[in-house]
Amino acid sequence: MNLKSKIFALGASALMAFSAPVLAEDWAPDGPLTIQIGFGAGGSTDTMGRVLGKVMKDNTGWNVVVENKPGGGGVAMFTGLSQMPPNRNIVGMGVSIPVLVQLVNRGDQLPFDIDSFDYLGTVAKAELALVASKDAPFDTLEEMVAHAKEQGTLAVATMAPPQVLVMKQTEAKTGASFNLVTADGGAEVMKLILGGQVLAGFGSGEQYPYLESGDMKVIAGANQSRLSYAPDVKTFTESGVPAYVDPVFFLAMTGGTDPEAIKAISAAIDEAIKAPEFAEIVRNAVKGDPINMGVEGTKQMMVDGLANAKVLFGK
Amino acid sequence: MVDLATITAGFGDAFTPFNLMFVLFGVLLGQFVGAVPGIGPIMAMAIAIPFTFGLDPLPAIAFLVGVNKGGLVGGAVPAILMNTPGTPDAAATALDGHPLAKRGKPLKATKMALFSSVTGDLFSDIVLITVSAPLAIMALKMGPIEVVALMIFAFSILAGLIGNSLIKGMIAAALGLLVASVGQDPEHYTPRLIFGYWDLFDGLPLPSVAIGMLAISEILRRMSLAHGNVKSGIITDGSNRPEDRRVSWAEYWACRYTMLRGATIGTILGALPGIGSTAAAFMSYAMTKAGSKDPSSFGKGNLQGIAASESANSAVVGANLIPLLTLGIPGSVGAALIISAFMIHGMQPGPLLFEQQGRLVYGLFGAMLMANFVNLWVGQLGLRFWTKVVSAPESIIFSAALLLCIVGVSMATSGLFGVAIMLIFAIVGYLMSTFGYSLVIFIIAFFLGPRFEKSIAQSLALTNGDLTQMFKSPVAVALLVLSVVSFVYFMRKNAEAEAIDSKT
Amino acid sequence: MSADRISGIFFLLLGLAMYFVVNPAYIETVEGGSLNPKTVPNIISVIIALCGGLLVVKPTHHEVGDLRNIARTGFYSLLLIAGLYAMSRFGFEYVAPVLAFAIMWFIGERRPFWLAFGAVGMPALIWFLVTQALGRALP
Repeated sequence: MNLKSKIFALGASALMAFSAPVLAEDWAPDGPLTIQIGFGAGGSTDTMGRVLGKVMKDNTGWNVVVENKPGGGGVAMFTGLSQMPPNRNIVGMGVSIPVLVQLVNRGDQLPFDIDSFDYLGTVAKAELALVASKDAPFDTLEEMVAHAKEQGTLAVATMAPPQVLVMKQTEAKTGASFNLVTADGGAEVMKLILGGQVLAGFGSGEQYPYLESGDMKVIAGANQSRLSYAPDVKTFTESGVPAYVDPVFFLAMTGGTDPEAIKAISAAIDEAIKAPEFAEIVRNAVKGDPINMGVEGTKQMMVDGLANAKVLFGK
Repeated sequence: MVDLATITAGFGDAFTPFNLMFVLFGVLLGQFVGAVPGIGPIMAMAIAIPFTFGLDPLPAIAFLVGVNKGGLVGGAVPAILMNTPGTPDAAATALDGHPLAKRGKPLKATKMALFSSVTGDLFSDIVLITVSAPLAIMALKMGPIEVVALMIFAFSILAGLIGNSLIKGMIAAALGLLVASVGQDPEHYTPRLIFGYWDLFDGLPLPSVAIGMLAISEILRRMSLAHGNVKSGIITDGSNRPEDRRVSWAEYWACRYTMLRGATIGTILGALPGIGSTAAAFMSYAMTKAGSKDPSSFGKGNLQGIAASESANSAVVGANLIPLLTLGIPGSVGAALIISAFMIHGMQPGPLLFEQQGRLVYGLFGAMLMANFVNLWVGQLGLRFWTKVVSAPESIIFSAALLLCIVGVSMATSGLFGVAIMLIFAIVGYLMSTFGYSLVIFIIAFFLGPRFEKSIAQSLALTNGDLTQMFKSPVAVALLVLSVVSFVYFMRKNAEAEAIDSKT
Repeated sequence: MSADRISGIFFLLLGLAMYFVVNPAYIETVEGGSLNPKTVPNIISVIIALCGGLLVVKPTHHEVGDLRNIARTGFYSLLLIAGLYAMSRFGFEYVAPVLAFAIMWFIGERRPFWLAFGAVGMPALIWFLVTQALGRALP
């Protein structure tokens, strides 16, 4: 997006903010509203969170401050949030799956559960795909399993525990065996595939340029529904492996926050998510459109997600 | 391949007074923030990104490139003038830079750092612009097995820095690796040694450990020495002879092989994601020392030592863009920040970048070249300013530096928790150096540790637990042979040094 | 006793404590996989203990220097710890001037101009830079 269109977009959203019947006029933060991002600087959550904060600031005139609180895929940040008194005007932004995984596996060590927070909304869904180099001698999950059986084993790169479980589930259902190589994030998975050290691996957006250039192909979708950018490719579930992962980027505050504040902040978030400049960032970061499930929908997403994570981890 | 018209158009877009202005702003901000103790180059980038939201892509990227490159030059300043490196790669610069500054030649030391930093940077930029594609493909062939071998090679070269006690060097390295193992384990993602603090799940925050160990521990030591006797932070004008205030062409030219070697090491390591500038700076330093006719002059203010370290760590930053632009793989935290800035400005690094946005990429290259020259020019002025600043009384410098480190680290990590860790490591660092353990070895092991363990885990997974398959990779075998050679060589040197040491 | 013997004993005990007490308690037990989370920390702990033991047997001539300086550093460390604790309770704005003044005073600075500059000027400058220019929060 160039400068002009950005200024137009900003101007337009500012105009809309003025002309539309202003929501929740009665509440505004006394001081800065902080968005704490549960990941370090430079990732997709960070990028989306910073632009979200910027658009919210432009729309509402609030002083929105964005900070990074990395640790445990957001667990450190949500731990801090849960231990605060309510009404501190601090919003946490994280991804559902890493939090749910720790809640399922080490819930007894964590000082919070999903009821510890008031949910504000969601930003986007991450689509998780199993991809392979274009030269790989298979195109679908079934063919990949067959190839693994023929070769004895097959190297697959993963970057988080749920993906390991999806592959273990595949082993259990099909009898094939995989060498699971754990990588530091999607970028390293791509490096391992391109370098030929593994034949396939998981990507949550990093693979997109290579799909476009034809260097890689999608083998299977790992979400509940099919991938938006590859609707012909079957999911793991459709291929006979009953396992899926649905990571959602969401926002929440310390439980017990003033309902007026929740209303005003969630409305501001919703408005920002609808802004075209934000949609563009989301499409750059996760290859999907922004999705806001709203206050109730986000809570439901977490409850359902916890149930699914329990099934996936066999607890 | 990008055609010539796109290339010239790209460079044409870059070389405008408007973009030059943004490069200049960026370099000014980067040099300033990079030189403030406790903040450093990465922080400078993180702070700068939001300011670019409203800009066109090219000026925005030009600005960030300026910050990034300015931060590199700035980062060497506190290391040399105060012996308080804010980043571990600058610690190698401090080894010879600070002694030279203490001998009353702070301007000479910082200028040598500036010249060799810009030289190394320019070298890697030229490599990036001309041969990034084949280099990136070579980097891809470095799989986990080769990376393990490369790390072993790096460790073997670091043996050259161990000094006169092998046992104490081993302890320092092992302690660094132990501290690096805090946080999730590389294969099963279980929380390891975090003692219930989830903030540690991603490992101990790097800025806390680096600044605590390298900067605060030094400030603590110096405060105890200054007790009751307040001096200037550094004697700036101990000598008014012009040759002590500048670096002559002859002195610069004498370092040409050192800088070429440093820049080459930096470029190669920079092209491989995840190894980083610290290893490059120390490898270059150790090799230069080993190759020198007078190794005992190192650590006492040898210009070659400054040139070795700065040319290597600056070359890494340019070379980090090789995997970033061609493959979309960030090689370091700084590179990850650049990628997110690119994404905000609608640039998608990866295989199609040169095809789809060639003009913008060559605009970026143009901005990088501009930034190098601006860096040189601003640096000349800035260094005078900083040597003036540190000639203030030590009392004010130490108290200000401590406050800045507290604020900087709390901004870079999760608030005061990160500051508390910084203090713990400051005390650990002080005790280690008091008892004669090398902080440098510790910090390198700490920085390389996680990648080393991860690569071992990956190699084990790929080979079904049979590491002898390493011998099937010619690159790995070559690196392992080199490791043995360099280890034996350095051990012999160390033994000689020890023999001399025990005689005196 | 030589400095190396003291630090050698310390590392010997540290390595043993890590291997027998800390690692088993604070590293989870995992089934399967290629590299157990315990493997690397355990190897390192053994190396630390072994090297510590060796150092006790074969110390170098290293000396720690003036003990008074170490005591002073200990004092400054305590001062910083107290300052940090106070910061967590009252905030940077209130603690920084006091901490800066205390540090300067104990170093031996008595000139009013520099004391004022360090205790008021620097914290104000940092406050301005961080909260006003950069829009970030102070600790």
